Amino acid sequence: MAYFLNTLFGSIVPMCITALVTMAITLIFKTSYTTNFAQGVISAFGAYVVASSLNKLGLSIWISLPIGMFAAMLIAVAVDVLIFRNGRYVNALGKQIITMGLISLVVGVIPLIFGLSDPAFKSFVNGNITFTLSDGSVASVTKNSLVCLALAVVVIAAIFILLRFSKWGLSVRATASNEYVAGMMGINTHVVTAVSWGLAGALGALAATINASSGNIISGYFMTNYQVYAFLAGILGGFSTFYGPVIAALMIPLANNLVQYIVNVLGVPELTGWSMVIVYAVALVIIFFKPQGIFGKKIARKV
Amino acid sequence: MDKRLAKNYALLGKQTTDGDGLTACLRSFFKNSTMQIILFAIIMSVVGALSQEKILPYSWLSAFASTFSYAIAAVGFCLLMGYSGLASLGTGGFIGIGTYSVHYIMSEAGLPFGIALITAIAVAVLIGVIVGFISLRIEGIYLVILTLGLSEILRNLYMVLEDRITISTNPNLFGIEITRQMSLYVVVVVLAVIMIITGNIINSPTGRAMLAMKNSTAAAQAMGISLMKYRLMAFIICTVYASISGTMLIIVVRGAMASQGTGFYALITSLNILAAVIIGGYKSIWGAVFGSFIMYGMQTVVLNNIKFLAENPVIITFVSGILVIIVVMFYPGGLAQLVLELRGKARKLRIKMKEARYGKDLG
Repeated sequence: MAYFLNTLFGSIVPMCITALVTMAITLIFKTSYTTNFAQGVISAFGAYVVASSLNKLGLSIWISLPIGMFAAMLIAVAVDVLIFRNGRYVNALGKQIITMGLISLVVGVIPLIFGLSDPAFKSFVNGNITFTLSDGSVASVTKNSLVCLALAVVVIAAIFILLRFSKWGLSVRATASNEYVAGMMGINTHVVTAVSWGLAGALGALAATINASSGNIISGYFMTNYQVYAFLAGILGGFSTFYGPVIAALMIPLANNLVQYIVNVLGVPELTGWSMVIVYAVALVIIFFKPQGIFGKKIARKV
Repeated sequence: MDKRLAKNYALLGKQTTDGDGLTACLRSFFKNSTMQIILFAIIMSVVGALSQEKILPYSWLSAFASTFSYAIAAVGFCLLMGYSGLASLGTGGFIGIGTYSVHYIMSEAGLPFGIALITAIAVAVLIGVIVGFISLRIEGIYLVILTLGLSEILRNLYMVLEDRITISTNPNLFGIEITRQMSLYVVVVVLAVIMIITGNIINSPTGRAMLAMKNSTAAAQAMGISLMKYRLMAFIICTVYASISGTMLIIVVRGAMASQGTGFYALITSLNILAAVIIGGYKSIWGAVFGSFIMYGMQTVVLNNIKFLAENPVIITFVSGILVIIVVMFYPGGLAQLVLELRGKARKLRIKMKEARYGKDLG
């Protein structure tokens, strides 16, 4: 039982990170019609900014985090305004390739600004909370992961509420359903797109900070794994809604840890390394039979 | 505009072929694409021999060898993207098929290299068929992400099977032991063969059918082109080439680590191959080769001679990113288009000079 609880507690941080990154990728996908492959490196850039404000300026993490989020937001908005606004007539594949070019760009810029060494990082809070269960076994959860959970839940809930009830949310949804018509109806789609990019950058920086605060070493590619999860979650949940990808994003890291748990309980710990292979394979099979995603609606296409 | 250009070309053709028989013969010899590729292979082998004798820098040997290994995958990707209009981010995973075949068949089982190569191709065909079938149901951006997922499955599989592989024995090809120094010649020969085959595919009915499929799937189907056949074929070719590229890479580099974030099988390899094809010009085989040189070889061969860049190797990553973005936004044809345009301009200039000297050709 304690082992099961520990598995669940261990999944909290990956679930938060994946959900945040997925939210960011979905926002960009809906407003700019492209998958942003540079999400991971822009997030990493944010984490670098947080780290250098922690180490060089000596600020606390609660002040550094907004600075990092702001920096990542600026980069993301710059990408939209400078590149995507001018490349409006680039086709879908071309847009994807531009975001791939951005990866090299940002990865090249990071050592120029922050130097080559891996920056040190701090947790939000230190310490564990331990429970002693009725059968005498001990389960523990780090306080840091609970703080991360709270942050992620608040931010994602806020975005969903804004999307559902605010005027900005309405214009995002209108732009997502048809950018051209939304423009004709008097929505400033340029602003909507730029705000979505900025929000996505900030979300990415938050995700990267959570990832770094739970002990992972920052590098240019350290968010790539989560980005891959997020893309898969986007397709698995279906990009046609906002909630589908986020639910799928919660499922993927959880499934990964649960497969490891089951494998260990069944007494074949050699298979632990296979958990990700199994999860990916199951996800691909689901997508193969439901190409529009679990929660997606089928979109009829004119010929 | 185009008509005038065509007329100028015709004019030029008339003037040049009127020269004596030998020049005309030589000219047509060098215009033959197969001959160009063979000539390229010979030149690169000579460069390799010179750098082995240390007349040219010794580091060129491995730089060119790994560049051309990646170029094999890039040529396959060029066929997939430029001619079939499909994109994939699975290149990294597919490269692993080759490296692990060499590892298991040659190093572990002790069988000759040829069998490892055949195994690599066979497994790659199987994977290509799987991806091809997926591509029938899922299109565009979704397909790209799905191939990325497949590549991640393969990478995780490699990590579980054996994270770090090293090849300690020299591969044996037709009784000749291939040392690390000799690997460049093998890679160049394989690349030349691949380029000739691909050039023929592009100009055959298969290539035409793929091009039709790229421009409009509905129209292609209406003309009786089987989507399934050609999509499967495109993916099989791409996967097989990537797998062959993997076998070459492992001969050149002799070791790989799957869990490394910037390793052979990671997302970054797939992106680099894609960038190579885009920078070079996605419809040109030569563009793919030149693009892989920019991504993988230029660092050692050109940029390390410039002191500032040798001290800051990250600049090349930065510049390649900017190059990709600029090429996609303003120059979708890539460097191949640039070369073609420059050639057209040079011809025009030559005609103008001739006109200025001899007067206008009124015939």
